[in-house]
Amino acid sequence: MGTVTRQAAILAVDDDPSILDLLTDILTGEGYRVLPAQNGAEALRVLEGDRPCLVLLDMRMPTLDGWGFASAMRDRGLKLPVVVVTAAENARAWAQEIGADAYLAKPFQLKDLLRVVERFCPPSGDRSGSAGFAY
Amino acid sequence: MTAAELLQAIAQVTWLAIGAVEIARAVRRPTRTTIDIALFFGAIALVTVEGRLVALAELPYEDLVRATTLVIVIALPYLLLRVTRDFTTVAMPIVRVVELGLVASVILIATFGTTVLAATLYVVVYFAAVAIYCAARAVTLAGSSYGVTRRRMGAVAAGSYFLGMAILIAGIALVAPGLAGVTAALTQICTVGSAISYAIGFTPPNELRKYWQLPELRAFLSRAAALPRATMDEIVDDLSEVAGRALGARSTIAVWDEAHRVLRFRDTVGAVPPEVGPSTFLSWRVFEGQRSLYVPDASAANPANAELYRSAGVGPVLIAPITAGERRLGVLEVFASREPIFEEDDLAFVELMAQQAAVIMEGRKLIDEAARARAVEEAARIKEDFVSAAAHDLKTPLTTIVAQAQLLERRAAREGRTAELTGIQRLVRETTQLSRLVEELLDASRLERGALPIQPEPGDLAAIAREVTARERAGADRIQIVSNGTVAGMYDPERIRQLIDNLVENALKYSPAEDPIEVRVWSEDSTARLSVTDHGIGIPPEDMPHVFERFRRGSNVDHRKFGGIGLGLYICHGIVEQHGGRVWVESAPGRGTVFHVTFPVSAARERPASDATMVAS
Repeated sequence: MGTVTRQAAILAVDDDPSILDLLTDILTGEGYRVLPAQNGAEALRVLEGDRPCLVLLDMRMPTLDGWGFASAMRDRGLKLPVVVVTAAENARAWAQEIGADAYLAKPFQLKDLLRVVERFCPPSGDRSGSAGFAY
Repeated sequence: MTAAELLQAIAQVTWLAIGAVEIARAVRRPTRTTIDIALFFGAIALVTVEGRLVALAELPYEDLVRATTLVIVIALPYLLLRVTRDFTTVAMPIVRVVELGLVASVILIATFGTTVLAATLYVVVYFAAVAIYCAARAVTLAGSSYGVTRRRMGAVAAGSYFLGMAILIAGIALVAPGLAGVTAALTQICTVGSAISYAIGFTPPNELRKYWQLPELRAFLSRAAALPRATMDEIVDDLSEVAGRALGARSTIAVWDEAHRVLRFRDTVGAVPPEVGPSTFLSWRVFEGQRSLYVPDASAANPANAELYRSAGVGPVLIAPITAGERRLGVLEVFASREPIFEEDDLAFVELMAQQAAVIMEGRKLIDEAARARAVEEAARIKEDFVSAAAHDLKTPLTTIVAQAQLLERRAAREGRTAELTGIQRLVRETTQLSRLVEELLDASRLERGALPIQPEPGDLAAIAREVTARERAGADRIQIVSNGTVAGMYDPERIRQLIDNLVENALKYSPAEDPIEVRVWSEDSTARLSVTDHGIGIPPEDMPHVFERFRRGSNVDHRKFGGIGLGLYICHGIVEQHGGRVWVESAPGRGTVFHVTFPVSAARERPASDATMVAS
């Protein structure tokens, strides 16, 4: 896992600030720019000015939850890879429900997070990560 | 045949019938009461026969016959009093007066015969007075009785009343011959009334008895409908109260205490101890033999405890077993202070009530058991919900801790900070173990609630196994995987990974560091098969039946050396079951263990999985 040459951005959406800090810490260290958002509404605002290569999406959040965010994204014609990151037991089912590209169950392993991030935001900057449901 | 003749015939036939029945009863079961009743009705029957014979033909010993009839008729009031005394109390002075009256009758008739009107009138008045007194006593007794006894006593009272009236009217005929027509008819009517009333009182048809029992039984059953809401003690108290009231006696119920193997009385009326185990007590005999019992005298039937019965004023006892199907619940015991007037009715009624009591008590018992089961279920659900909620809440902070620790490890390794690295690695190991425990607790709690979700999809068991065995882990180099070709089926990939990972981790944990672990995956007989073999410490035979139970750990496992809380195999079993497969284990202590798993290839969860079988080698 090398350092990305161009600063690819990753949108991290989670209502838990310590998770946001953690994701920022990890991904910044890997050379990504992290766009933090505490709920779906904030995330949508971020998307107005930025174009990340990946959305790490918590599902249960106040104001606008994961489902609401996903449908709002669809309504706006935004097509971005989404990885559901949740502690809920039905992580896989929820990911399928909102048409996410992958999911990561909390607590996740660092290497699993890095693997999934690398898949959608390769160090080369190529964003055409493999399509289809994986993981 | 005139109406008068018809009435006479009815009366005569009835008297004969009652006489025959009562004599037969006294012969079958000679007690003071049955003999007194047989004497009274036997005497009337004899007078009837004699009267009939005299009317039909000239008899050679007509004088003798007339004399006998006279003697019997004179004795009848006294016999009737004896019967009445058997049923109820008669004050001693009255007994003496009647006895004196009898002596006077004998003397008067012996002296004057029936020729002197005054003497005859005396006998008539004496007879009528005694009969009406006895009728009054019977009415009092009926008033204080219940159920069938009340009705039968009422009929007996009517019989005595009619008898007294018949005699009195016959006496009027003597002093007023002009009224002969009227008095003869009235006497006839009263005689028939007396005969029929006595027949109903002493030998009622079964249909009538059942009809008489109905109101008591209905009262008993309508109480019963409200009883399931009461406690068992309330039910027992209520039933014994109702039973006692129905029979006009004291009653108690003993409930079988299975744990202590004794009959426990709620209220013993002082006749038996509160608890009765194997003994000579009548209640125990009935409970053990499961046959109802009537004894006219408890002291005589159980001499060992005679004093107890006597001090409690208990004479006759009626006991019936309370039994629902095969379940012996107790006994219903009715104590009287004097012999029951109609013991066969009373015993039948006690049996009937005991049967009803059995139904009610069994119902209560089942409701209690169901409630207990529900409470246990509810407690288990609350516990599972708590575990689930707690484990879930642990996940969020664990996410930060696990990933942060791994990040620290990664950076320390990258920057060559070896001094810190060992400590950080320890932190990573323990946090990983902690998050695994939380996962296991959650899965076990889901399994317990029957809610371990699986999402089967077409897949290759061999590919999943290869992926799991290729994972980076301590001892990964010891794992050998043997598979030929794909093993297609419907699998929840996540859960199958968890299953194989668990089995592999177990094998690594419980076998020496240099020994190989073999993971085999193959298809056979349209089932997908998987086995994980180690050459480790094995499972002691006594642990074999419990391998897949919750919180079970091998008795030969050093718990300080090997971490874990004993949920892994329980979860494995659940995952396999959810896939409609089977898991079992073969093991020999010191030689190693093989876990076998089979899955139906067609479809997961097609039918409920049979229990995993354990095969000891």
